[in-house]
Amino acid sequence: MRQISAAYNKAVKELLREKAALFWTIAWPIIWVLIGSFSFTGSAPQGVIPYIRGSIAISMMVFALMIAGMSNLSASIAGDRANGLLSKLISMPIKPYKDFIGRISAVITLSLLAAALVIVIGTAVGARFTGTGVEILQAVGFVFLVICASAGVGLIAGTLIKNLQGAIMTGVGIAVITSAISGLFAPYEALPVPLQTFARVYPISSAQASIVHLLAGPDMVAYNPLTSGQITLTIALSFALLLVGTVLYSRLGWKLE
Amino acid sequence: MFAVHVENLVKTYDSRRVLDGVNLDVPEGEFYALMGPNGSGKTTLASIIAAVKTQDSGVAEVYSRKPAQAKEFIGYVPQENFSSPKLSGKENLVYFANLLGYSRSQANQLVAEVLKNVGLSEEADKRVAKYSGGMRKRLEVATAIFPGIKVLILDEPTTGLDPAARRSFFSMVRDIMDRKTSIILITHIGSDAELASRVGLIDNGKMIAEGTPDELKRKHAVEDVITVETAVKTESVLSVLKGYSINGKVAEAETGYKIYSSNGDRVLADVVRSLDQTGHKVMRIEMARPTLEDVFFRLTERHLQEATG
Repeated sequence: MRQISAAYNKAVKELLREKAALFWTIAWPIIWVLIGSFSFTGSAPQGVIPYIRGSIAISMMVFALMIAGMSNLSASIAGDRANGLLSKLISMPIKPYKDFIGRISAVITLSLLAAALVIVIGTAVGARFTGTGVEILQAVGFVFLVICASAGVGLIAGTLIKNLQGAIMTGVGIAVITSAISGLFAPYEALPVPLQTFARVYPISSAQASIVHLLAGPDMVAYNPLTSGQITLTIALSFALLLVGTVLYSRLGWKLE
Repeated sequence: MFAVHVENLVKTYDSRRVLDGVNLDVPEGEFYALMGPNGSGKTTLASIIAAVKTQDSGVAEVYSRKPAQAKEFIGYVPQENFSSPKLSGKENLVYFANLLGYSRSQANQLVAEVLKNVGLSEEADKRVAKYSGGMRKRLEVATAIFPGIKVLILDEPTTGLDPAARRSFFSMVRDIMDRKTSIILITHIGSDAELASRVGLIDNGKMIAEGTPDELKRKHAVEDVITVETAVKTESVLSVLKGYSINGKVAEAETGYKIYSSNGDRVLADVVRSLDQTGHKVMRIEMARPTLEDVFFRLTERHLQEATG
């Protein structure tokens, strides 16, 4: 337990002291919540605008979770390998899975912090949410899936990309590009058909659509992401990404030669 | 029982033998320097002893156990700066103490003591990003001297440090020696290796000589070393100097050349005269006892720094 908390404390402190990480994970999504809430509501009826804002806040919360998992986690792993910490850790009596749990827990902490701030700011600028207690719990479950999928991508990038800048840029790049082509930044119905298919298959955009459906209302989503088939696919692919990332990290991340 | 025992160790990368049958024994409490140029295999050897890498064949043991089963005894300081610049010196050490299983209060107490040992108590709360190179290296050594560590492996610890920082660093290392910790120093700097009680010279994956610094110099470099600095370095200067050096061996020094002679006092005057007669102005000439770098040159016919570069 001490090894897990040591890895956790170190990773949390480093993330909270890294200006670039804080900007991309917290400030950037908040900026877009502010811009989106006042610019992208268009000619929507007055009564719908709070829910459009809610939908925007949810999308940016998901983006914050993506950056935390994909970029911050991969940067933490690649950075520690590049600066020799991994060699040092391998020479010590430490179990790799404890380091893994500590890092993942730190990313979850930062993710939840970022998510909470984005939602609070969104609410402050007029976002409104619907949903019963059960729906809120279901939405939390989808948030968990977003974290799993993002962390999986982060583990893969951090394990395979050997230098720090490369890992950061790859993480940010994957987050931004996949967000753009999967309807996180644009309405689903505006996407070409192949990208609409991608949006349904990509577990993060599918989970985001599910959260919007649950908390901002079904009118804010162009398709029903809560069919049993779609939910099964989202859960399976989220865990698959996390599993692949975990296996790669534990097999290759701690193996120098 | 040896603290470290290595026998016929072989490691190959891409069909190149980085370690080619290396043998090494380090008794408890010994300060052992492993000296060689880059690519000689010394860091690979250290990594295997530190349980970071594994050998292809041969034996590597720390207190009669495979390194991976003796990690609690090993304090490894890799060449790269591995401490986190975003954390303070104290936070870094508490992290490593917690990884080793110390509770928060035990870690705080221990870290205060270790920081004192490495002379960083007053800088404990400063972020490592603001540390000098020497301070950072001392902090990283501190991560490897917690109680229970019996073998300290330092990989090129003084690279990039100025002479004052290097002196301060080795003064600290000598303090650690009092605790009967075995120290393996990996270096390509002769003056660092001179401080060890025993030195192993490694080149192309093979141990080419081993002994105390004095033994190595007596056995492999008995001659006086004459350093000659001329206004310009030319082939013609080189050819004059070759005539005065044993077996015609001339090593390039930072600002001139080094020649080796069993009768330095007489040769000194002859060299000045010959260079003068051939029109070369001698800017500086001095005679010294051989260093470990000279020993390396005599054994390999390559200058250590050149080989390193």
